[in-house]
Amino acid sequence: MLAALGWVAGWCAPAPQAWVPMRWPWQDARSLDLLAGTPINCLLLEAYSPDLVAAAEKRGLVTLERIAPGGDTMAAARAALARGVSGIVLEGSFAEGTAAAVRTEAVSRPVIEITARNHLALGSAAPVLGTWQGVWPGIPTEDHGSSRMAGPSGSAWIDTNTGFIRTVRAWGDAAVWLANTPPAGEVITTERYLQAIADAAISGGRWVVALDRGFAGRLAAGDASARVSWQRMGALLDYFERHPEWRAMREAGKLALVQDPAKGGLLSGGILDMIAVKHTPVTPVPPQRLTPEALAGAAVAVDVDAGALTAPEEAVLRNFARSGGTVLTSPAGFKDERPPGDSITLSKAELDRFNDIWRDVNSLVGRQNLGVRLFNVSTMLSNVLASPDGKTEIVHLVNYSDYPVENVTVQFLGAYRRATLLTPDGADKTLQVYAADEGSGVDIDRVAVCATLKLEL
Amino acid sequence: MITRREWIAMMCAAPGAAPLVRSAAAAAAPASPVSIARCASYDEDVTARLAAMFDQLGGLERLVRAKTVTIKVNMTGSPGLRVRGKAPALTHYTHPKVLGATAYLMGRAGAQRIRFVESAWASGGPLEEMMLDAGWNVRQLIAAAPVVEFENTNALGKHKRYARFPVPGDAYMYPAYDLNQAFEETDVFVSVAKLKNHATCGVTLSLKNCFGNLPASIYGDDAGKDEPNERPARGRESVGHRGTRRPPKSAPQELHFGASHDPGYRVPRIVADLAGARPIDLAVIDGVESIAGGEGPWIGGLRLVQPGVLIAGLNPVSTDAVAAAVMGYNPRTTRGAAPFRSCDNMLLLAEARGAGSADLTRIDVRGLTIEQALYRYES
Repeated sequence: MLAALGWVAGWCAPAPQAWVPMRWPWQDARSLDLLAGTPINCLLLEAYSPDLVAAAEKRGLVTLERIAPGGDTMAAARAALARGVSGIVLEGSFAEGTAAAVRTEAVSRPVIEITARNHLALGSAAPVLGTWQGVWPGIPTEDHGSSRMAGPSGSAWIDTNTGFIRTVRAWGDAAVWLANTPPAGEVITTERYLQAIADAAISGGRWVVALDRGFAGRLAAGDASARVSWQRMGALLDYFERHPEWRAMREAGKLALVQDPAKGGLLSGGILDMIAVKHTPVTPVPPQRLTPEALAGAAVAVDVDAGALTAPEEAVLRNFARSGGTVLTSPAGFKDERPPGDSITLSKAELDRFNDIWRDVNSLVGRQNLGVRLFNVSTMLSNVLASPDGKTEIVHLVNYSDYPVENVTVQFLGAYRRATLLTPDGADKTLQVYAADEGSGVDIDRVAVCATLKLEL
Repeated sequence: MITRREWIAMMCAAPGAAPLVRSAAAAAAPASPVSIARCASYDEDVTARLAAMFDQLGGLERLVRAKTVTIKVNMTGSPGLRVRGKAPALTHYTHPKVLGATAYLMGRAGAQRIRFVESAWASGGPLEEMMLDAGWNVRQLIAAAPVVEFENTNALGKHKRYARFPVPGDAYMYPAYDLNQAFEETDVFVSVAKLKNHATCGVTLSLKNCFGNLPASIYGDDAGKDEPNERPARGRESVGHRGTRRPPKSAPQELHFGASHDPGYRVPRIVADLAGARPIDLAVIDGVESIAGGEGPWIGGLRLVQPGVLIAGLNPVSTDAVAAAVMGYNPRTTRGAAPFRSCDNMLLLAEARGAGSADLTRIDVRGLTIEQALYRYES
């Protein structure tokens, strides 16, 4: 009780939308020294010492005890609160009403839910929408170690959570947490960790930093190479946190994708990610939020499940077409359906079904510049965001290969005259803007893991 | 150091060396000088190296002054496919510095127009976009000479019709080939190739590079039945490699359709046909950095290699023969021995039709000797 009172009196932590979370693998207070130079300010705890909580509080850190399903959740919550943590994370599938009961118990302390994707409380007032379900970002490899590709025509596929995050963010301003953990049994290089951070951040989400056991052990033991890796992770986290304005920006471009999150919209590897791999800027629009304003600036709208729209929603698309927009509807009989269970990716059969739409989208989009076109980016993903006043546009680039990419070309629409390349190392570079076939272009010499092109009028 | 004569003797005595049985046409096939230069890195002065080489071949001016020059580059496969993440030009594409230097020197020698061509993989879109996707600086290429153009020869491209190129004499596979009109609007045809192996043909080099002259709109797996498909999205496996389907009726048909489905038989013969139908006036082979073991990242077991050489010649068969020797191969080897383990030797096939001599004893090698440039591709 005293500890709880102490928490109430002393807590002046940032708002949940600004939390930079990490699954903290260590128990002792001294481990907090590792946070120096990182923006991490929110620790998800499982086993920990009272000293750790007290020390964290002194540093202004948020401590959340993670409670998993399986035991007496209410008892666990009461015990956690008594230990003085800042709040609670409920991670997993709990019986209905559990979260509400824990919130009552916690009074004013925050209770964050980390759920399956299809249980996210979209449209609620929750400050954080978290899920433990995510693909591990990167270029998957076959058993023999080479990238997954098929003959001379195959480009590498990139596993990503960006489409999912964009879909969730289309619903509101809640912070989006990807709380997936590194795949067991794999060697996770520093680059893979950096890619996981950037994959979430370029779409406005946050990966809940989680270290594999070996890395955490080496780091705690003071291993020099582990420290360097950790510093690079901290620097990349800091890079995105230094630019809170990016999270206020929204997807830009002339392509809108109308897809229901209750169906395929929350999947990874779906139509949104297929478009992302093609580097076509796209704005996801849930049908429930399909308004003329949501389609402002779009020239093409893809309706993934034409038969499922309500009459008012159909009218919005009809008027969009009448005013000069192009509407691509799904093939006759196609239904966008959520896969069974908690699956977050498409089965082979579902992928084949989506290929019909994908071919149509690909054919329609062709080589059009729908905002930005990128070249020499086959191992990269991008996200194009615009400031609310339209004066600034940014193009995030993440490289998912183990090698830097050199000589990237970006061609963009709009009258942007200034182009600056921002990188995590802080060395901003002004780029020469030149006239291109459609609009303007810039050349980027090199992208290691992540870079951001900032375009200004 | 072994002498050129000793080297040739060694090559002829190597396992798999074939008896040099030659037709009258082969014996009379022209042999032209071939120049070899050391170029250890693309950071060196590639332009100076090539300028010296072209001078050794008699100078560019007499070849290109007031002419339209078409340069066939090698950009095999999707630019998104990489060998260990390296830029394609460092592995299996011709390097843009070699292309830019060649264009610059030709412009300086008075070429009226220089047009880069390639049948961009699975696309009928602009070639410049494929180059950008490969990380090339297209603006630098454009600036290399007064008039520089680009054409994706995988379909009609910027042209209205296809041009028909009959194969002179006895054709192996097709009596004629329909190609992008850019090949017709050409006074001087240049093949700028890569010094590398090829899974189907043993080596790539300047002759095999021109297999890529074939538009997939006609010779592709998704070509139309009656007419070309102007939106090709696939390769040339069924028409070219395996002969399991015919090109559209609008194009000349295969002479003996169904007679062979062996790519090792078919592709070398198509290459030899093309050497006669659209002759190569200048062959340039980029062996600065490359790959061994195949032609692109989709082939398993590739090795990165740095032969550090450039090779050029006015006759593609002779140039390829020298290049094969630089790779450590006997250019007169027949099927069964490296590098032609499972294919016929396209150099000898082209030689037999009089396209040029693959006989090293008849070829005047200038600059470096073969033995000085030797870089064995077999591990």
